[in-house]
Amino acid sequence: MQKRAVVVWGLVAALAAGPASAQKADVMHWWTSGGESRAVAVFAKEYDARGGTWVDDASVGPQAEHAAALNRIAGGNPPTAMQWNIGVAVRQLAEQGALAPLDDLAKKGNWLPNLPPLLVKNMSYNGQVIAVPVDLHGANWMFYSTKVFDELKMQPPKTWDELFAMAPKIKAAGYIPLAYGANAQQVDWLFEALLAGAGGKDLYRKVWVDHDAKAAGSADMVHVFDLMGKLRQYVDAGSPNRKWNDTLALVETNKAALMIVGDWAKGDFAAAGKKLGTDYGCQMAPGNQDAYVMTVDVFVFPKNSKPDQQAAQDKLAQLMMDPAVQTRFNAFKGALPARLDANIADLDACAQLGQKVISGGAANQLPNFALAFSPDTQGQIEDLLVNYWANAAASPAVAAKQLGTIIANESQ
Amino acid sequence: MPADRSVAVRRIASVRAAGSITAQARAGRPYRVRSLAAKLVLAPTVLVMLVCFYGSALWTVYISMTRSFLLPTYIFAGGAQYQRLFHTPRWQVAYGNMFLFGALDIAGTLFLGALLAVLLDRRVHFEGVFRTIMLYPLSISFIVTGLTWQWVLSPTIGFQHFVHGLGWTDFVFDWITRPDRAIYTLVFAGIWHQSGLIMAIMLAGLRGVDREIWRAIRVEGIPAWRAYISIILPMLRPLMVTCIVLIAIAVVKSYDLVVAMTNGGPGFSSDLPGKFVVDFEFERANIGQASAAATVMLGSVLAIVAPYLYFELARKNR
Repeated sequence: MQKRAVVVWGLVAALAAGPASAQKADVMHWWTSGGESRAVAVFAKEYDARGGTWVDDASVGPQAEHAAALNRIAGGNPPTAMQWNIGVAVRQLAEQGALAPLDDLAKKGNWLPNLPPLLVKNMSYNGQVIAVPVDLHGANWMFYSTKVFDELKMQPPKTWDELFAMAPKIKAAGYIPLAYGANAQQVDWLFEALLAGAGGKDLYRKVWVDHDAKAAGSADMVHVFDLMGKLRQYVDAGSPNRKWNDTLALVETNKAALMIVGDWAKGDFAAAGKKLGTDYGCQMAPGNQDAYVMTVDVFVFPKNSKPDQQAAQDKLAQLMMDPAVQTRFNAFKGALPARLDANIADLDACAQLGQKVISGGAANQLPNFALAFSPDTQGQIEDLLVNYWANAAASPAVAAKQLGTIIANESQ
Repeated sequence: MPADRSVAVRRIASVRAAGSITAQARAGRPYRVRSLAAKLVLAPTVLVMLVCFYGSALWTVYISMTRSFLLPTYIFAGGAQYQRLFHTPRWQVAYGNMFLFGALDIAGTLFLGALLAVLLDRRVHFEGVFRTIMLYPLSISFIVTGLTWQWVLSPTIGFQHFVHGLGWTDFVFDWITRPDRAIYTLVFAGIWHQSGLIMAIMLAGLRGVDREIWRAIRVEGIPAWRAYISIILPMLRPLMVTCIVLIAIAVVKSYDLVVAMTNGGPGFSSDLPGKFVVDFEFERANIGQASAAATVMLGSVLAIVAPYLYFELARKNR
């Protein structure tokens, strides 16, 4: 009896000690959908192959992850790494001194020269690298039903004017011209695509990068709001508060002609069994042929005093910035590798197109909401946009003026 | 066997004796000692109340008067947060909605709940079945309630779609997608969800009414509807106060219903203060605004509930 207990406890001790010696990496993320979890498995397998032990710590949605991660940092038990959307929020984390600097690794891996300049600016704080970007999503894509456009013998629109010219015909043929669900998330994508495509990249940069209140209230902005208002008549009655994947289903089932949505839509098309080229097509949004509104996932590494955790963080950061690993990851994620030197020959046609736009240089790389504004300012603009959309009688001039006021009063 | 029984008898006897001794001791012990024991037992609860409820509420009020943004800071800012709050169009809508939604929800739920209770009180057949059916919505969470009503009310998949399918293609019922009507759809769902509970409470009260009163009513030849309105329901006034407080609490803390059903939309036309606070606290990382909004909520509730409760309690004491 006694002897058996000793053996059992010995086994338990051996099991407990085993994984601890192989650097355990506790990684928090919110990638739970089909494509996403296959993507994150690429990192997990690679980490295990390099001699570590990956402990998967997935949350449902960013808010749950952020809350859990911040609680763990505050409680003195930080995760090895945690996913975040790059932007002002990551900088604020760095301001609190919560993140480990990654400068040595960045130099060793030659990271910075191989990343888009806009990213480099946003993944650094006080001249130190504090985040590892793993993908480059574009928010300003247009995904369309090839069946609808073939049937109507039309080409997908290259400009907003073209779209407005063909929308009545699409509607007359019994299709929904624009698949759109009126909520904060989708109004962000639509407005960014309109601002870059109809307002122009200069205006976009003035407002989103320089936070120029005068440009935000200018006549050009009134024009953007005016166009947005004219789009109301081309969406269906079920639009208010419809989730983006339900909205995309309208394109998947050929009920709607097109949707302005980021390249994460590809995962949904794949899940619905639709093929790129035969069932659906991708293009940059109208007027956005030389603009890429970047939406980037990063991993940050909370400061940790334990040497084995530091070693685990180094190993993780290096593999996440490995160009080959990034390509394999993004084959499932649907985005581009953040590293521009990654070989993407195996990725699909949309990725090739996106890469071409990004390699056009810094002029083509635009920040999305999260990169441009604090969550508070983003929220105020979203309130303005959803309210403007919901009220058909709202005046574009007043909306532009209100946008100018929000930018002028920014609390940051 | 007999030995066992005698043991049992003796044990019961001794227990009884011990009981009477403690009873004697209790009666003999001075009041202060007894109250000390009670106080000690209550202390943790009171402490939790003071720190977690009142402490947090006071802290929130305090934070609302500072410049707090992403994290709490203690730099005094006076009424700056309130100034911004009351100039925020979304807050104006949400705050107004609380009163509109609250008034309609309380009135509607109370009316429907009382009506159902009175109908059941008339000793209908299959009362148990009806009671279960009407109480059922309450067992469903607000999230599920909201989602279900969202589907039912959605013009493209719900009721309107169904009627179109039957051939009436002119039929329009799209309130949930109209900024000027969406708040009323929340009222429907709220009434549907809560009237079963109110019915159960009122029914219990109606069953407690003295038979003699009913006999007197019958003797006087008063019609049933008149008896309910003028005699029976006024007797249940304390129960109604309970019901109103219960519904009012549900109104003020409404969050899940609006998130699941309209998410505050279209635009922010059906927003409620609870959602406003949570959005600012967690999504927008603006503690100052969230605290100011929460403080205004608390103040409004106190301003309405305190005089009402005071009035009702004063009536009772008289």
